[in-house]
Amino acid sequence: MLKLKGLSKTYSKGHVKAVDNINLEVKSGEIFGFLGPNGAGKTTTIKMIVGLLKPDSGNVFIDGIDVWENPLEAKKKISFVPDTPEVYDKLKGIEYLNFIADIYEIPKDIRQKRIEKYLDIFELKDAIGNVIGSYSHGMKQKLVLISALIHEPELFILDEPMVGLDPKSSFKLKEIMRQRCNEGKTVFFSTHVLDVAEKLCDRIAIINKGKIIALGTMDELRNSAGNNESLEKIFLELTDNE
Amino acid sequence: MNRILALIKMDINNTYGLSAIRYNLKSKKEKWKLILIPVLILSLLPSYYIIVFSIYNLYGVFLNMGQKSMFLLYGILITQLILFFTGLLYVLSKYYFSNDMNILIPLPLKPKEIITAKFVSLMIYEYLTLLPIILPFVITYGIRGSEGLLYCIYSLIILLFIPVIPLSLASIIIMAFMKFTNIKGKKDLVRIIGYFIMIVLLLAFQLKVQSIAGKSLLNEDDFMYKLITDSNLFVKRLGVVFPPSMWAAISLTNYLNITGFLYVLLFMGISILAFVIMSLLSERVFLDGLIGNLEVSTSRKSEKLRASDFSKSYPVYLSLGLKEIKVLLRTPVYLFNSVIGVVLIPIIILMSMAMEGTNVSQEIKMLIGGNYHLLNLIGIGYVTFLGIMNCVGCTTFSREGKNMWLHRTMPIDIKDQIFGRVLSSLFVQLIGIVTLLGCLAYMGLINVQSIFWITLLGLLGSISMTELGMIVDIYRPMLDWDNPQKPMKQNLNVLISMGIGSIYVLAVGFLAYKLLDMMDVAFIYGILAAIFVISSYVFFKILNRLIKRQFESLE
Repeated sequence: MLKLKGLSKTYSKGHVKAVDNINLEVKSGEIFGFLGPNGAGKTTTIKMIVGLLKPDSGNVFIDGIDVWENPLEAKKKISFVPDTPEVYDKLKGIEYLNFIADIYEIPKDIRQKRIEKYLDIFELKDAIGNVIGSYSHGMKQKLVLISALIHEPELFILDEPMVGLDPKSSFKLKEIMRQRCNEGKTVFFSTHVLDVAEKLCDRIAIINKGKIIALGTMDELRNSAGNNESLEKIFLELTDNE
Repeated sequence: MNRILALIKMDINNTYGLSAIRYNLKSKKEKWKLILIPVLILSLLPSYYIIVFSIYNLYGVFLNMGQKSMFLLYGILITQLILFFTGLLYVLSKYYFSNDMNILIPLPLKPKEIITAKFVSLMIYEYLTLLPIILPFVITYGIRGSEGLLYCIYSLIILLFIPVIPLSLASIIIMAFMKFTNIKGKKDLVRIIGYFIMIVLLLAFQLKVQSIAGKSLLNEDDFMYKLITDSNLFVKRLGVVFPPSMWAAISLTNYLNITGFLYVLLFMGISILAFVIMSLLSERVFLDGLIGNLEVSTSRKSEKLRASDFSKSYPVYLSLGLKEIKVLLRTPVYLFNSVIGVVLIPIIILMSMAMEGTNVSQEIKMLIGGNYHLLNLIGIGYVTFLGIMNCVGCTTFSREGKNMWLHRTMPIDIKDQIFGRVLSSLFVQLIGIVTLLGCLAYMGLINVQSIFWITLLGLLGSISMTELGMIVDIYRPMLDWDNPQKPMKQNLNVLISMGIGSIYVLAVGFLAYKLLDMMDVAFIYGILAAIFVISSYVFFKILNRLIKRQFESLE
């Protein structure tokens, strides 16, 4: 579903390698966790996947479509939830959702059904008629999540999705992610919450200083670490050694 | 005092992005962009030269009348009135709508410390606006009158103090306005309507005073005698419009005697007094207007979601255009600059004519001699120029700010981006056209043909103007801002677009003027339509490529 081929990005005239020749393949029906310390290159990689940052070299393929060659077709298959939910403060929640539904050309009856479903799940129904400026950080985050789910994307990409969510919403989001994978769709997300990654992800990649230093299922990571350690210990050992 | 200095330093750094510029200078691409700015400003110099040249000649006119002090009053008055009226808007957004208030209010700072810092930062910004206007007057007077060193010193003092009174007045009015309009519920609506009425009333007052002063001067029995004997006659009579300007003008023209000295003292003293009053007042009223402003009203009982809340599926460009219009109408600063702007200009012109008292529409009718086409062509030119003056196109991407990620990650075709954004500008233009036609109808200068041609060709011209603005804006979008005023009023893209736009309108206008004697006006309309359509198409093609490139390469 998602394939990164020799992806690289440098900053400061090539002095800082934010992402260094990453190769990665995420299969359909997989929940893929992308871990790494602050400044490791997680967000840079995600931005290159969703079209916010042009790679210096390498390719991003979504369902075989090159994101930078054929952006419109590729973007129709994905949706992206950024780490900070920046949305139009002056629009009402429902106006924003209608706007997003228009962009993905979703007919009225379907959009109504889907929006109502996700508003119920995230308990945002009572606030959806208010302007977004009146929302808390968590509510904005939920709104962006709903807007990203309206068109039922093949590939759901999230950057630190649990930040700012209350425990109940966080739990529901995890359920949605799992359910999507059961339907054969794909989820790719970055996180600092190692517990979530350990319990939820089918496969995990750990990135440090722009390079992938570990990749595999939880069992594979444990085996390569040589014992039955938690993800937290594996993570700390790997990122400290670098 | 140290706290105020720290605040001023921070505010200036933040407002002008000094640290960001320093950081950007490290990148080669950004360096090029920075070099481009002075080049673009230089390109505006030819039209500026024409203005300076006319100012230089104006001196001669007043010299011949023996009223050369009036020349200075003219310059100072224009500057101070512009400072006052633009100040109303700047103060409103800087004091009440900037996001840094969320950080400053919880800090142990007095309101007057915050206001003083913001005032100084605003003053520095206003110098950038006022110096290009006032300097030609002061320098011309100095050179042509061979004034001495003392004149230079007096000029420096006057220039330094010139924004203080207009800005203090604007601050006092806005602070009072915000305190009294801080009504729960429909606050935004009350403020938008209130602001509009306030501007119209202040302008009407100004124009009325000017008109009364002008008439009473001419009606004086011994006018000619006084004109010869009193070289400050004009200044004293017409200066009542805004007395501080009069004091400044008199002090500069009498710098060699005690009168000049006393007037410069008066000008400085009243400036300082105005600032002190403003600052003391801020301590009492500023927070009252602000605190409610930070809260966003929510309906207590949110209504149940109805089927009608789910809109039927709109085409992407229409949905994007509607979103633009909603944000434009609901953000006060955007509304003041775009919609209110296009409504105010014809109304101000109408008002100033009405205040004159003479039957201006009759005079215009005689002037055009029943040839309404001339009026139509001027109307078309005006509407076309509004296409860039309404600031919608040339700030459309900048206004997205931090929401830009949305447009770059969603599958929106570039042509939909262009159509939607042009549509929102045309919406504002339509309001401008209706106001213009309304004003013309009020003066009895309208017929069905005028309505047709001004609307049709005005809208066509507006499309190319909006696209032109969009080209400038996407080339260097200002996305990193904390105050919605920034992408609208502190955005160089607006100035650059206006510069290029005015050249376009002047060129097309000149062509139409030349063709007037050569062919039937119907052909001229046809030629104008062709020019607008072709340039819209060419700009569209350029935009298409530029947006694609920028959406990919922005970081």
